[in-house]
Amino acid sequence: MTALLEVSRLVKRFGGISAVNDLSFEVNQGESLGLIGPNGAGKTTVFSLIMGEHRQNSGTVTLAGEDLSADPTYLRIQKGVSRTYQVPRPFADINVAENIRVGLMPNSIRRMISEGPDPDAELALARSVGFAAADLEKTPGELSMGDLRKLELARTLATAPKVMLLDEVFAGLTVGEITQISDLLAEKRKEGMTYVIVSHDLRSLEPLIDRAVAMTFGHVIAEGTFREVMDNEKVRAAYLGH
Amino acid sequence: MAADIKTRHVLLWAIFIGGMCLLPFVTTPGTLRTIIFANYLAIFAMSWDFLTGRTGYVSFGHPFLIGIGAYASAILSYRYGVPVAISIPLAVIITMIGGTLFFLPALRIRGSYFALVTLAFMELMYQLVQVIRPDITGGTRGMSGIQTITSGAFNNFYLSFALMAVIAVILWTLTRTRLGTALSAIGMNEESVRGSGLDTTKLKLFAFMVSACVAGIGGAFYVHYLGSIAPRNLFDINFLFTIIVAALIGGASTVVGPMAGAFFLTFLLEYLRPWLPGSERYFVYGAIALVLYMYQPKGLYQIIVDSLGIGKSRNKQEAAGDSAA
Repeated sequence: MTALLEVSRLVKRFGGISAVNDLSFEVNQGESLGLIGPNGAGKTTVFSLIMGEHRQNSGTVTLAGEDLSADPTYLRIQKGVSRTYQVPRPFADINVAENIRVGLMPNSIRRMISEGPDPDAELALARSVGFAAADLEKTPGELSMGDLRKLELARTLATAPKVMLLDEVFAGLTVGEITQISDLLAEKRKEGMTYVIVSHDLRSLEPLIDRAVAMTFGHVIAEGTFREVMDNEKVRAAYLGH
Repeated sequence: MAADIKTRHVLLWAIFIGGMCLLPFVTTPGTLRTIIFANYLAIFAMSWDFLTGRTGYVSFGHPFLIGIGAYASAILSYRYGVPVAISIPLAVIITMIGGTLFFLPALRIRGSYFALVTLAFMELMYQLVQVIRPDITGGTRGMSGIQTITSGAFNNFYLSFALMAVIAVILWTLTRTRLGTALSAIGMNEESVRGSGLDTTKLKLFAFMVSACVAGIGGAFYVHYLGSIAPRNLFDINFLFTIIVAALIGGASTVVGPMAGAFFLTFLLEYLRPWLPGSERYFVYGAIALVLYMYQPKGLYQIIVDSLGIGKSRNKQEAAGDSAA
């Protein structure tokens, strides 16, 4: 397997605080990697750095061998890396179909004007994450947290990513919704999707990942299978505080 | 049901356009002049709304853009004898270029900071036209005797109405495309638009260029209607707020709303004049606008749609794109 996404010696400081400190890991094509760690470990910052939402002080992010470090966010997404957020960020005043439509749009004003929307593609994406056709007309205000996560997944999938970064994808969900999202991710994984998943719900995370990277205070403290990482003393100390 | 509502829309538009076309035959030149101002105010409000109503970037600098268009065309025609048919297109181009030079850096900031920076542009322009080359700009007194396109309320009414209608149709068509959805999405959550792989700077710049183009057209035509220009009238906070209030109480993020708001405000101010000839009528107009806005934050457009029952069948996909149909 070749590394699809490679994070190398990433450093990010906010003033005097090192949120990410010489962090490196890689994700192979078709692999699912769990990024775990206690609150404040820097997991979300790593996602923001990979997406270009924050600029690193040093280090590189490469996708399929191409250095993304200088690219703006939208360009990284076009190249194949996309993310979801801890708190879903839907477009509140437009419906599910239009939310997905934004993800499907080409980054060309001429084509946005001259080419109409593709309702079939919108419906297919909505269905792929578990929405029914009737849900397309709903606005985000009418959706449950589980549905909002599904909507975010659909909009993220609409950008045709090679790697998806999923941030706390189970947060705020009911047991039924967790199962639904887990099944969905497992299905996409079978289709070859590459993931990096951040979650505090370790029980739900375990069956979804091939490998885990544990971090605290911005650097990696353990790497291996989920069980190996969870049995690691440093990881236990980081989580339990002793 | 949907077909029935579509028919009602077509019928209402036919009545509006037919009524406007017949208006000069049944009303006085004085009323026509009021409507001419309303038509131009509608153009300015639509221009403001295309940027602010869609993307959420609150511009306090539209008089700056309108001023560039008006001054550029006035100077070209009055000082250099350029025919109006050439000075107006040139003025629009100058507005788009000049506006972009100022607004492009400002588009990197948002919220109240963007609003304040753009407000500074208006004040800057006010000072500049008085200080820099007053022999060309006319300084504090401005210019009068500028060539007009046509004369009389009758002709100017049709000219301004046609201009407003063409601009409205073009803007409405744009907002119905995926571009319209993307611009509205920026207003809702810019980070998510960027996170959907779209270059928001490019989109905002396009929205701004369209807005500046419309402001430039409006400003240039307006100055050739008035035949004069004075910095104190143009770069005036009351003028700025009239544009913004017209768009807001009419219904932001729509095309019909700013038009409805412009007509409502113009007639409100005009009919208050006999009772309140001084500036106190602005107090009454402010109070009415506030009550109206509190009653229906989506503006007159929503009140019209609800009272005529022409909005219920619109599917939500259409609702976000626009509301002009």
